[in-house]
Formats: sequence, structure tokens, C-alpha cells
Amino acid sequence: MILFFLTSGLFLGWSLGANDASHIFGSAVGSKMVTFRKAAIIASVFFILGAVIQGSGTSHTLDKLGAVNAIGGSFTLALAAAITIYMMTKFALPISTTQAIVGAIIGWNFFTGNHTDSATLGKIISAWIAGPVIGAALAILLYIIVKKFKKSAGIHLIRFESYVKTGLILVGAFGAYSLGANNIANVMGVFVPAFHLKNLDLWIFTLNSSQQLFLLGGLACAVGILTYSWKVMNTIGNNILELSSEAALVVVLAQALVLFIFSSTGLSNLIVKAGLPPIPMVPVSSSQVIVGCILGIGLYKGARNINFKVLGEIGLGWIISPVASGLLTFFLLFFMKNIFGINVGSKVTESIIIPEPATNLTMSVQTDVSGIIKYLLLGLFIFGTIGIIFYILLENKKRREMQRSEEKFWKNMK
Amino acid sequence: MPVFTGTTRNLIIKIDEFFDDIDLGLLVFREGIKAYLEKDMSAFQRHLQKVDQLENNADKLQRAIENEMITHSILPQHRSEVSTLIDELDEIIDALKSSLNEINIEMPDIPSSLNKNFISLTETSINAAEELIPAARAYFKAPYTVREKLLKVYYFESETDKLSFSTKKIIFQEMNELDLAHKAHLRYIIHHIENISDLAQKAADLLSGMAIKIVM
Repeated sequence: MILFFLTSGLFLGWSLGANDASHIFGSAVGSKMVTFRKAAIIASVFFILGAVIQGSGTSHTLDKLGAVNAIGGSFTLALAAAITIYMMTKFALPISTTQAIVGAIIGWNFFTGNHTDSATLGKIISAWIAGPVIGAALAILLYIIVKKFKKSAGIHLIRFESYVKTGLILVGAFGAYSLGANNIANVMGVFVPAFHLKNLDLWIFTLNSSQQLFLLGGLACAVGILTYSWKVMNTIGNNILELSSEAALVVVLAQALVLFIFSSTGLSNLIVKAGLPPIPMVPVSSSQVIVGCILGIGLYKGARNINFKVLGEIGLGWIISPVASGLLTFFLLFFMKNIFGINVGSKVTESIIIPEPATNLTMSVQTDVSGIIKYLLLGLFIFGTIGIIFYILLENKKRREMQRSEEKFWKNMK
Repeated sequence: MPVFTGTTRNLIIKIDEFFDDIDLGLLVFREGIKAYLEKDMSAFQRHLQKVDQLENNADKLQRAIENEMITHSILPQHRSEVSTLIDELDEIIDALKSSLNEINIEMPDIPSSLNKNFISLTETSINAAEELIPAARAYFKAPYTVREKLLKVYYFESETDKLSFSTKKIIFQEMNELDLAHKAHLRYIIHHIENISDLAQKAADLLSGMAIKIVM
């Protein structure tokens, strides 16, 4: 039953992978610099790493907005957000998971009569605005630097493109890591207060309860990337602005930097040490940041190439997603509570939880989920190793066949 | 990752080698025509053989370049244009080979009074194609300079047209001792030589557009 309640989070993770994670490599795949298969594998691996290693920072901010205190509530919130995202993705609109989950949390606050912390909400919204603005500014700056470097260095076009291609893979990996660190809270953040799993000892390191949840969320995202992100990658890569290879590199780098800025506690501490105010640890909308970055380059180029119709559609998606997600959460919570009799959470007044009628689905759950994760990781390791060996063999076979056919061609020509 | 493999270096070497072949082919063609006009047939045969060999090598390189660009996903956004450019340049060396072969088969009787005209025509037409090569090389290293380099191609192409016009005028209006078939044959040979600069202009038009696209 506990695992069933996690499924909505996993579905949300899948949606995040299909939608938001595709922004990392969308420009690279859209400009055909990196193949979809390569992009999807790199994005999946680094997304999981970012989520597990650095994902806790932003999840605290969502806790402050609304600490969902029942698994039934977490399930409903994640389900509502996931349905909203799935529907929007179906229409190829790059919407934001962050906004969907924030809309869902506010919907939960309304339903349970909890007060929405306006300071936290303000912090989140201001980060949403700052994200694309910083993204655009960084993109313009980086684009100017890359262009100047290209012009002055006099590198052969093919060599330059190979640098860009390598850069896209490295920066994409960094971007996926940052996205995992910044956005995993959107997927699993609502489950963290309601789930308490045993520590998982993996010999080299130990994963705590929230890290295990983030790992599960990360795996769900990876499935989303591998199975459904192709469509959104093409929307991002081609529709807003036709991107050159160096512009694609700049867009991914600027986006990765913005996501990293808003999720790195280490960087924030460094800034505090320098006597500056701390950076808020907020899950930023990767959709907004990527559009900001592409828009920045478009504006620098003179705004003639921007497809404003697509921008308008994206903007519309931004408004619809939190509103739709909030409303859907409210109605789903109503059904869950009144028809199925599931505890979806209660009012929190100055840290005192008003108890709901007791069910077996309250907080502090110890489950065998940790054991499942352990076997899942082992299975993935074996499957991954076999996959890599198979891929190398296949590539070598293709290369040999190509060489053979070429030799045959020239032999026949003689 | 491409930067850690030799693919990029190999492809750059192949493209440079391809340009070298075209450049050398133009030089040999010029010498071949001169040898024919001077009635030095052994030198002409040697030059014809050399052009044939260069054309074969250029064909191999063209195929190898296109294959590598596709299999290693190199220059995905400019691949088709680069392939078209290489194809256009290959057409030039094909034209050099076929022109020398036509001359070798048909053995046109070019009056010695027209030698100077034919040499000028060949020089100018070849100059147009020769000026295209540095512009094509510049596309890969300094695309900002491509357009200024192409100016010379257009200049030599228009000069070739003028020279071709004046030579044909001499043949048809001043050389009454030649019969019409002889005149038509000479016109046909002039057309072959003139065609090289026309092909260079066609490639220059393409290169010019490619340079704008890459600079923007």
C-alpha cells in the first residue's frame, strides 16, 4: 500500500524527466550536435547523481510552503501535478513542474485550511522571475565571449564544432546534475516529511531516507527522459529560435549555471562569507530559465528570428499549469478524503498538528522500500554493464561493415 | 568524444588535401593547354594523365569526407552545404579532365594567331577558379574574409566572358579563311575553357551564402 502511494510521485518524476529534463539537451539535440540516445543516457545518469547528492537544499523550501503531513496528501498532490504536466506535455507545451507542484501545495493548503506562507511563496516567485532574467543575461554574456573567441582564435570550423560538441556533452552532464539537484524536490519533496525509510548501506556510502526517495524519483525521471522527452526536445530545440551549435552550448551552460546557483548551499555559504545576502534555495522552473536563455540570444541577435507565437504558447502554459494543478489537487483531495476516506493531511497551527481520525497511513512509516531499492540498484548495474558492452560491440560491428563496404566500392571502381 | 579522437584531424587533412588537388589540377590544366598550343604533345599527355590522377583522388576524398561527416555526425547544421560545396569544386576538376580529354580526342586545329587569345582566356578562367580555393579554405578558418576573397572570382569570371566574346568575334568575323565547321569547333573549345570560370562562379555564389550564414 505504501508503495502504491509512491506511484504518483514516480509518475510525476516520469513527467519531469519527459518535460523539464529534456530542456538540458533540447538545444543540443535540436541542433543535431548530440544524438538523442547519447543525450538521454547522459541526462539520466547525471540527473540521478544530482538528485541524490545535492537534492535536499530545495526540498526544505517546499516544506516551508506546505509541509504535507500525510502520505495520502502527498500522493494526491503528486498525482494532480503529474496529470497536469502529462496533459500539457501531450500538447508539446514546455510547462514547469515547479509551478505545477507549487500550485498543488497551495491547493492542499486551501483544502486543509493551512496558511500559505507568503514570504516563502514570494521567495519562490521572485526566484522564478530572477531565473530567466539571470539566464538571459548569462546567455548573452557567454554568447559574446564564445563569438569573440571563435573570431579571434581562427580555429578550423570542424575543430571548433568538435569542441562545441564535446562541450555540449560536458555542459549537458553538468546541467542534468544541476537539474536533479534543483528539481528533485518537485517530485519527492512532498513525500519527504511523510516517509521515513531505513538507512540504506551501499558499502561505499549510505543513503538516508530522503536520499532514497530522491533516488527513486531520479530513476523515474530517467525513465521519463528515455521514453518521452524526444517530442519536447524538438520543441525547445527548433521552435523558439533556430540555434547554431555555439548558441546551443551557451543556452545549456547558462541554464545549468542558473539551476546550480539556486541549489548549491556551498555557493550560498561562500557568498554569505563574502558579506552578501544568501542565495535562496528554490526549485527554479527550468522551462522558464531555458526560454530566458534562448530569448537572451534572440534579443542579442536582433529579435528577428524569435518565434513569438511559440513563446506566447509557453507563457500561457505557465499560467495554466499552477492554476490547473491547484484546482485539480483541491478536487482530488475532496474525493480522496470524502469518498475513499483516506487521510490527506491536517491543519498545522504553530507546529501543533490537529489529529485526523487515525488510519494506518500516517507519518513515520518503516517499510521494506530500502530493500527494494537495493535490488533495483543491483539490477540496474548489471543491466547497464550489459547495455554498455552490447553498445560497444554494435558500434564496432557497424564501423567494420562500413570500412568493408568502402573497400569493396573502390575495388569495384578499379 | 570527438575532441579526443583523431576523426576531426583526419577530416581536416582530407578537406585540405581535396583543396590541394583542385588547386594543382588547375595549375596542370593551364600548363596542359599551353603545351597543346605549343604543339608539345608529350607534355600535353603528361599533364592530361596528371589531371586524371588528381580527379580520381579528389573523387575518393569527396566520398571519404561525406562519409565521415555523416558517420561521425560532424557539422550537422552545415553538412549539406559543405557537401554541396565539395561537389561543386569536384565539378571543376571534372570539367578540367573532360576538357583536356575532349582536346586529346578531337585535336582541334587552333591557328597560331589565336594562341595569345587562348592562353589569356585559359589564364583568366583558371584564375577565377584559383581564387575560389583560398575563399573555400577561409570558410573553415576565417569565414569573415570569404566574401572579400570571392570578389576576385567574380572579377576574373567577367574578364573570361569578355575574352571569350572577343576571341569568338575574331574567329567568326575576321578569320574568313576558316570554314564554318572549323569555326564552330573552336567555339566549342572556347566554351569548354570558359565553363571553368562559370563553375567557379556557381561555387562562389554558394560559398558566399554559406559564409553569411556562419557569420550570423
